[in-house]
Amino acid sequence: MTDNSNRDTALLVLVHGSPRANANNDMYRVLEAIRIRGVYPIVEAGFLECNDPLIPDAIDLCVSKGATKIVAVPYFLHTGTHVSEDLPGLLSEGKERHPGVEFALGPFIGKSDKVTDILIARTLGALAPYRTAED
Amino acid sequence: MDAIVILAHGSVLCGSGEALWAHAERFIDHELAESVAFGYLNYTDPPFIEAVSRCVAEGATRIVVTPYFLAPGKFVRVDVPAAIAAAKAQYPDIEFVVGDVIGYDDLLADAILDSAANALPEEKWGEDLKRASAHCRADSACPLYGTPACPRQPFAPETATEGATQP
Repeated sequence: MTDNSNRDTALLVLVHGSPRANANNDMYRVLEAIRIRGVYPIVEAGFLECNDPLIPDAIDLCVSKGATKIVAVPYFLHTGTHVSEDLPGLLSEGKERHPGVEFALGPFIGKSDKVTDILIARTLGALAPYRTAED
Repeated sequence: MDAIVILAHGSVLCGSGEALWAHAERFIDHELAESVAFGYLNYTDPPFIEAVSRCVAEGATRIVVTPYFLAPGKFVRVDVPAAIAAAKAQYPDIEFVVGDVIGYDDLLADAILDSAANALPEEKWGEDLKRASAHCRADSACPLYGTPACPRQPFAPETATEGATQP
């Protein structure tokens, strides 16, 4: 039940990458949850460093799968230099390599109030044993 | 009395704390605890211990430390416990409780899809850097100070504004 307006659109999640192999496991689970929702026919991760595929290769992968538009979302929590400079730079390079493909970049996920909701859940989870005991 | 300190890594880029300020303000709106503060391990002010001191001054007896990290990497496994141990040494009567990292959550899928729905074309990609410049302190201790990477371009330290204060 892919939305027609996103028919040839790839969602590319931009991830920092980690030297620890299993550090990305939760992110891959999130990608799977997104795929199940069927909003985008192509959902891929691209890494800034350490892990494959690196962002330029992930862009090429999306194009090879038929994407005419790539919507990129930084899986980052802060407006650091990666979000401000490195990621836009890599996307601009991708655009030069694939002039027929439309590129768009969304806000980094740290800006989302959904992330606030997660932080609140983690906080209440830590407090729960104490608050129950005291009630 | 409970207090919450959101603990993040910090960045050399002024204004990188913008997202954390927004989270802390939303925490305050939810009235989860009597005090809400945030602090950083590196680079960004205030350091974690200052956030703890503020909560103690406000009467906290128990501090929940909520890590603002995606994954339980080296910072969370090594540096966060070290920062808490240092705080505990300074405030031995305060109970410290540590929350889980963000890790996996269905809401992350929502956050990503929301972002994708609000994605912008290339000519708008510099917006984050422009926003960061609003918080730039033109601090000569910053590694970006005076370099082309400094968000305050053209570089003009005399026009730098004070960093925004935390809620």
